[in-house]
Amino acid sequence: MRPLALLTDALVLLGVLVMTVGVYGVFRMPDTYTKLHASSKAVFLGVIALVLASVGTREPTVIARGLLIAVFLLVTTPVAAHVIARAAYVRDEAMETPGAIDESGHELPGRPPTRDAD
Amino acid sequence: MHTAVFYVAVLWMTVLLALSVVSVLRARSALTRILALDMTILILIALLVLYSDVNRVSYYLDAALALALLSVIATIAAARYHSEGKLFS
Repeated sequence: MRPLALLTDALVLLGVLVMTVGVYGVFRMPDTYTKLHASSKAVFLGVIALVLASVGTREPTVIARGLLIAVFLLVTTPVAAHVIARAAYVRDEAMETPGAIDESGHELPGRPPTRDAD
Repeated sequence: MHTAVFYVAVLWMTVLLALSVVSVLRARSALTRILALDMTILILIALLVLYSDVNRVSYYLDAALALALLSVIATIAAARYHSEGKLFS
């Protein structure tokens, strides 16, 4: 009982800390591509830590649904991040990180022109 | 879970939720706004999971699951509409 409660506390605090890092990253990062790192990976890992803390309740319904949410987010968060990154690439959003090199062949000749970003 | 940890976590995550709403409002491009909305819903899901951990009932998790479903559909639809001009080709 006692170690389980301590583990729950530690996991909750870890999750809140990791999510704080993610939110700070979204404020601090310069462009969409780097903001995606913070918002999809860090915040998602914080949610996973909080879901793992639900083991401390020892309620089967809570643990099962928490596991369902974790698996669902594990499947869908990369898909959403990929769609956002692809949209940024198609709309010609610039990489504003200092010293960033676009290695995707984005500026090569022969690439079909895309619409202007508004 | 100890009560003090719960209060600290809920207070801190409410601050995080407000900060992410601010990042939605201050976003410079539409895709950054979509991304920040996605992050806001993830934080909301985490808040619901935390409440469900403390109260030991699973009703909050149903709402969290519905929010997760809606958020992924909304993100994919908005980003695809922004890039392609239509949802499904």
